[in-house]
Amino acid sequence: MATYLPKTGILSWLTTVDHKKIGILYGASAFFFLIFGGIEALLMRTQLILPNLELISAQTYNGLVTMHGTTMIFLFLMPLISAFFNFMIPLMIGAPDVAYPRMNALSFWVFLFGGLLLNYSFIAGQVPQVGWFAYANLTSKTYTPDHSVDFWILGIQIVGLASLISSINFFVTILNMRCKGMSLLKMPIFIWASMITQVLLFLSLPVITIALVMITADRTFGTGFFDPGLGGSVVMWQHLFWIFGHPEVYILILPAMGIVSEIIPVFSRKPLFGYPVMVYSVTAIGFLGFAVWAHHMFTTGLGPWASTFFSLATMMISVPTGMKIFNWISTLWGGQIRFTTAHLFAISFVAMFTIGGLSGIMHASPPIDYHQHDTYFVVAHFHYVLYGGAVMGLFGGIYYWFPKFFGRLLSERLGRWQFWLYMIGFNLTFFPMHFLGLQGMPRRNFTYAPDQGWEFWNIVSSIGAYITAVGALLFAFNVIYSLLRGQKSGPDPWDGRTLEWSLESPPPEYNFAAAPHVNQVDDWWHQKYVDGKKVSPPYQPTQPDSPPHLPNPSFWPLVLAIGVTLLATGFFFSTTGIYISGFGALVIIIAAYGWSYETP
Amino acid sequence: MRNFLHLLNSRLSKSILTLGIIFWNSYALAKDVGKGYFDDAPLSLSPELSKSPMYTLVGITDWGKEILHVYGITTIIALIVFLCVSIPILYVLFRFRATGEEQELPKQVKGNYILEIIWTVIPLILLSLIAVPTWQSIFRQDKAVKANLQDKNALRIEVVGYQWWWKFVYTDFGVITANELILPENTPVVFSITSADVIHSFYIPRFGGKLDAIPGKVNKLTYVTPALKSNSGPEGDYYMGQCMELCGLSHALMRFQAVIRSQEAFQDFIKSHNQPPVVTTASEKRGEEVFNLCIACHTIAGTPSANLPSEKIGPDLSNFGDRKTLAAVTRKNNMANLKAWLKNPLRFKPGSLMPDLQLTDQQIDDVSAYIQFSTAKNKD
Repeated sequence: MATYLPKTGILSWLTTVDHKKIGILYGASAFFFLIFGGIEALLMRTQLILPNLELISAQTYNGLVTMHGTTMIFLFLMPLISAFFNFMIPLMIGAPDVAYPRMNALSFWVFLFGGLLLNYSFIAGQVPQVGWFAYANLTSKTYTPDHSVDFWILGIQIVGLASLISSINFFVTILNMRCKGMSLLKMPIFIWASMITQVLLFLSLPVITIALVMITADRTFGTGFFDPGLGGSVVMWQHLFWIFGHPEVYILILPAMGIVSEIIPVFSRKPLFGYPVMVYSVTAIGFLGFAVWAHHMFTTGLGPWASTFFSLATMMISVPTGMKIFNWISTLWGGQIRFTTAHLFAISFVAMFTIGGLSGIMHASPPIDYHQHDTYFVVAHFHYVLYGGAVMGLFGGIYYWFPKFFGRLLSERLGRWQFWLYMIGFNLTFFPMHFLGLQGMPRRNFTYAPDQGWEFWNIVSSIGAYITAVGALLFAFNVIYSLLRGQKSGPDPWDGRTLEWSLESPPPEYNFAAAPHVNQVDDWWHQKYVDGKKVSPPYQPTQPDSPPHLPNPSFWPLVLAIGVTLLATGFFFSTTGIYISGFGALVIIIAAYGWSYETP
Repeated sequence: MRNFLHLLNSRLSKSILTLGIIFWNSYALAKDVGKGYFDDAPLSLSPELSKSPMYTLVGITDWGKEILHVYGITTIIALIVFLCVSIPILYVLFRFRATGEEQELPKQVKGNYILEIIWTVIPLILLSLIAVPTWQSIFRQDKAVKANLQDKNALRIEVVGYQWWWKFVYTDFGVITANELILPENTPVVFSITSADVIHSFYIPRFGGKLDAIPGKVNKLTYVTPALKSNSGPEGDYYMGQCMELCGLSHALMRFQAVIRSQEAFQDFIKSHNQPPVVTTASEKRGEEVFNLCIACHTIAGTPSANLPSEKIGPDLSNFGDRKTLAAVTRKNNMANLKAWLKNPLRFKPGSLMPDLQLTDQQIDDVSAYIQFSTAKNKD
């Protein structure tokens, strides 16, 4: 049946199992949700522009705080990263697709419905107000009697399921589907970063999954895991959340580091400095990332030994991170640096991430953290890491690989405008937050008194946010303009180093007409340059000899994802809920059978 | 494309000007609108604090100074590292720009073993410079808590966070107060911090770091209170504090003040606190009656409200008349604000458990007079 499904049109997108199409779907949904997250940020900055403003009520503001954090992490950064995983991993390792194409589609649809369910809270008028970390026992039935927290719990549960599915998929893909000759230490550095990210994902996500099941049980069935009145512990939630939540930070930053490590060598025309060290440092960061979660909890009174341990472990992470920064600088050193937009974003990643890292070292020390915790200093810190760092790196990746995605270059001119608007806007927004933090301004406050000395930097910060918004609009315009009228890129516009640049842009559905064979890191570069002299690379066949074996499109992933969403929706209804959840379970079972008996 | 950018450039200056005008107009408007949650006039703090009362880089207790010591070392090291990274980056970006005329590839350097070792070892040394004082100060605070708990001269105070106000219990004296934490100068204090509902965080920036108030858990914090300032009046020195952990709707409105007083003034506070209120005028007399509507949640020491067996979920009002502020340090304590608060509590504190009791204007006037004037112990 599945073979009759069309290859073009809307139906093809709904049933696609092609990793490139799914990658584009992920990217598009990420930017769709960015609209929400961005508007939420702008509204907050507008409310805080002056003391005592009443543009936004306390209730709405707390909702915006929660949804901005949750959206930016789970519905913007993670899917955007997933878009890169989907599109680039098979191309960079010389594979025809991912290991489990239909699982890949499933993971996208599950993610999309989870994100929509979470944002449905706006329509339902019950926006979660407990922060993206949802500390117990504010989330209990007593202190949040309505369904607002349920939207957060179930939305995150579903989105987490999607990430869990895709992490296993990509891990298997990277381990099993590399082309001939690509041993582990010959993989592109982005693939290394991706692989470690998958490990972090499938080790940390089960923790939050279980924590969310526990809080669901607390709210729905009256168990007392996090209720001190029933012998539960509210601090336990914090442990569980951050055992997931801290590796999550590295899940967001490692892929961006990988992307930057691909971009800098290309635009310096030099190989990555210290490739094996870069590999080991990614691994070390991933490993240490699991041993530092309680540095989010120094003020909960951990006791002196735990505080010391988590403090030292946190400081240790700066060693492999510092090595990466110096290796990037050394890659640039002595190169021929071309300031393309992609490269500008990649370099700004290094600079901004350094600032975020240094403020991180400061509150790695518990006594300092006793001051900085929950002030705007921390807001400044993690925006330098996740926005100045991860988001800037990912924008670099977009400018770098856009021609590979769509066959057309993004406008460099508009790109540079966007870059500078972002750099100025970002620093204007978040650098003053360091000062606000030192002045003791608490986070997550919907308003503040006029006699606190916080007015000036709040105005500056809000203006910065508006400047960034202009940059974002320019980017949207650039994408639309370039998709329609952008310059055709050809297969290798940047003189790239890795396998994907040996393919046409966009690549054919089967990716490689003939399975590639690599001998070293950056093999494509070494095919083009022999002894420092440019040679014409060996002939790349564009048509496969025999019809390639490609997985058939399938609508079962979509149906199964609908089933999962229905199953979760049941929790919002007290009496009819069981039927809705039951129906969802039925849909899941039917979809699973349909899936199993389908010709792949 | 080019036209579009041209348009942008030529209009850019005008747009900025327009934005500026809009902005300043909204500022003027907002100044009138912004009469909401806090009074516009500064709360009466010690004069030098009035600018930035929550500023974190001043420590006036032993604990606060110790933290700033670690803070200073760490900041210097962070700045050194910042220079070690930013100078090479800037140098590289200017020195190695592509000219577009290069004939040859740059030297294809793949790495350097020695360099990698250098930038592994140097950070480790720098980190140990931060780690050691960190480690020392953590254990010193732990030791101080244990020592001060045994100290007979130390003052023990139980701090309980409520949505959205603070209860302070002077366990050795049977005195309970709210939102104004009155402390004697130069005295070791041990706070036992906990919560009655959700997680809060107890923070007086001038005195040192914050510590969470967690339901089902007691956290201990200790330091020696600072001396009175030379220029401080009989009311003592006021220091700002605030809840720092998101604790629900009105988290932003959960502030408090610490008040440092002389030993004698502190003893006066303790002795007078549980004295019954002095009712003089007829209005206060009527207010005393009205107050019976409040006693399920509030207590005034020395009245029948203090004899109810149930746990009170509202702030203790025994010395309300002496307090500078009301509604957890969000408004100045005067008759106008008190009446406005009683008329519509949720207007000033969204989500507050304080109900609108539907009092008549007369009742509000009377009960305000009662809790405002009868409870003032320091009346001259």
